[in-house]
Amino acid sequence: MSEIAIKRDDAQRMGFFTDTTVCIGCKACEVACKQWNDLPSDGGTFRKGGSYDSTGSLSGNTWRHVRFVELADAGGGVQQDELPDLVATAAANGSPIDVQAAVAAFDNWVFMSDVCKHCTNAGCLDACPTGALIRTEFETVVLQPDVCNGCGYCVPACPFGVVDRAPEDGRAGKCTLCYDRLEDGLEPACAKACPTDSIQFGPYDELVEVAERRVGALHARGVEGAYLYGAADAPEDQLAGGLGAFFLLTEKPERYGLPAQAESPIQENVVPATLAAMGAGLLAAAGVAAAFLWEKSR
Amino acid sequence: MSREFRPAIGSPASPEFGERSGEKVELHIGLWKDGRWSYLYGDDTAYRAEMPDIEAIREAAREARTGELPDVVQGPVINAPVWTWEIPLYFWFGGIAAGSSFVALACDVAGDDTSARVARKVALAALMPSPPLLIMDLGRPERFYNMLRIFKPRSPMSMGAWALSAFGGLAAAAVGADLLGREREAKLLGGANAIVGGYLGSYTGVLLASTAVPVWGRSRLFLGPIFVSTATATGAAATRLALVATGLPVGHPTRNALGTVETAAMSAELLLSIVNERRLGPLASGLETGRPGTLFKAAKWAVRGGLALRLARKRGGPGAHHLASLLYLAAGLMFRYAWVGAGRLSARDDRAVAEMHRAETHGT
Repeated sequence: MSEIAIKRDDAQRMGFFTDTTVCIGCKACEVACKQWNDLPSDGGTFRKGGSYDSTGSLSGNTWRHVRFVELADAGGGVQQDELPDLVATAAANGSPIDVQAAVAAFDNWVFMSDVCKHCTNAGCLDACPTGALIRTEFETVVLQPDVCNGCGYCVPACPFGVVDRAPEDGRAGKCTLCYDRLEDGLEPACAKACPTDSIQFGPYDELVEVAERRVGALHARGVEGAYLYGAADAPEDQLAGGLGAFFLLTEKPERYGLPAQAESPIQENVVPATLAAMGAGLLAAAGVAAAFLWEKSR
Repeated sequence: MSREFRPAIGSPASPEFGERSGEKVELHIGLWKDGRWSYLYGDDTAYRAEMPDIEAIREAAREARTGELPDVVQGPVINAPVWTWEIPLYFWFGGIAAGSSFVALACDVAGDDTSARVARKVALAALMPSPPLLIMDLGRPERFYNMLRIFKPRSPMSMGAWALSAFGGLAAAAVGADLLGREREAKLLGGANAIVGGYLGSYTGVLLASTAVPVWGRSRLFLGPIFVSTATATGAAATRLALVATGLPVGHPTRNALGTVETAAMSAELLLSIVNERRLGPLASGLETGRPGTLFKAAKWAVRGGLALRLARKRGGPGAHHLASLLYLAAGLMFRYAWVGAGRLSARDDRAVAEMHRAETHGT
């Protein structure tokens, strides 16, 4: 399928490798992203009885989001409404945070800095009717804000819940993998800001190799559950043809709000759906004509 | 697409500012100067690791991504559609326009020129509110013309924008030809319009089906046919009422044929909807709960009411027939709102979304 793409001979695919095992949940990447891209806040609140995560989710204005995955026991499996009421706990202890309890519960915290996956088969790019979404020479998916008219079709077309329409702006917004910085030979703002190198940036092939080694090292150290989400898969297991921004995870993908399988919905559905619709259309037209001819002949 | 890669020269306020030097900007990929420090696990660090067995890595991913869904799904997994009330209303108007274009063609085929002229007018009238509704729903309405910036066959929204433009042009031209008394041209334009109408009436279903929203995506083989049925039925109902208003006598073959078309199309829609709902199982939750659920149920009852009125036609006078047509039109409108609202609910149902992707077979 043809794509709206920028070509440049000496450019190569660039990506992110986000290693959740070293993420400390500081949200520096979120701040750096907002600063560099000049994005407004979505407003921060603690969800009562929910999570310590105060910045919600990826949206039209939040292009990096550190997801807090709170496993109330290290094995996981606790419903969200069973988590303690954070506001009540804070009030009872007379301090906003019980540091000792928090340290004791360290194993129960998992953080994941979520971002646009820059899919090989990008649903948003397939959906976009204006050509605002394009593939760049770095094989990333970038939304041109000067073209987007805010039709909103990319929003439900993304199987990862990344791109969204910013209500006050009216246009869709998502991570550009700092296209402007890449063109000047700078790494993206979030990777630059990450203090633990949980977010790594580099040429895709090199990153995949780094990630594979990291998984091997973790397995050798006994972290059996470590796996790569979106890279190094066999062709039949690939997520949306392979993700330009992939992750090292230790829990099942749904704990991070990620689907277990993903494909561009357009590439998956548009041909069978169109055939069914066209078939029905022909049948309907023939049916209408038949009804008229039958009535006439009576 | 070509981009400007040569660097700009000059400093702000100098005469050459903004001009291009003609040299190509160097790509720093080989270097990524400041990016290189990122390699925490590089060979020259204590984190250096050997290349492991690739099959073991693939197996770890396969294990995490198959099998049972974990107890907790911490959403949102996908973002809910942002479309508001304008979109289902457009689906309804667009459907009526497409259905009327079928009727106009059928009238021409059957040789009823007077009715064909009315049907062509109905198609144009139903189409008129569509572009404003679609433009109102845009985040940046003043940029609506970007919809026709490119022609993108794989994007149903792009194809829909082109189909809508073509339909509008053809419908206006056909009515214009009618007004000028050029019958042959009007018939030709009307015929072409019915072909475009076939796409206009069905692409909306394809558009919804081509998303990651469970209730839409999993109905991919049903949404197109359901939307075509609604379009045909509402188009026929609107044309029938318009013809009655312009004085088509009782018992006229066109009037009877339209009644048959309405009833058949609405029955097909009801049947497809019920089969699809059963088929979806828990993924149909969006169509069964909340406001969309109420609308969906009400729409189905409206169809049943219309069918009952039609079947009792021996006893009911023309009034009962008109009421049935109105019920079909109302049912069509409610179906449109129910389907769009159901998608919003379904996208927010994190478990349903996660479940859809865990299922063994992807797609239908």
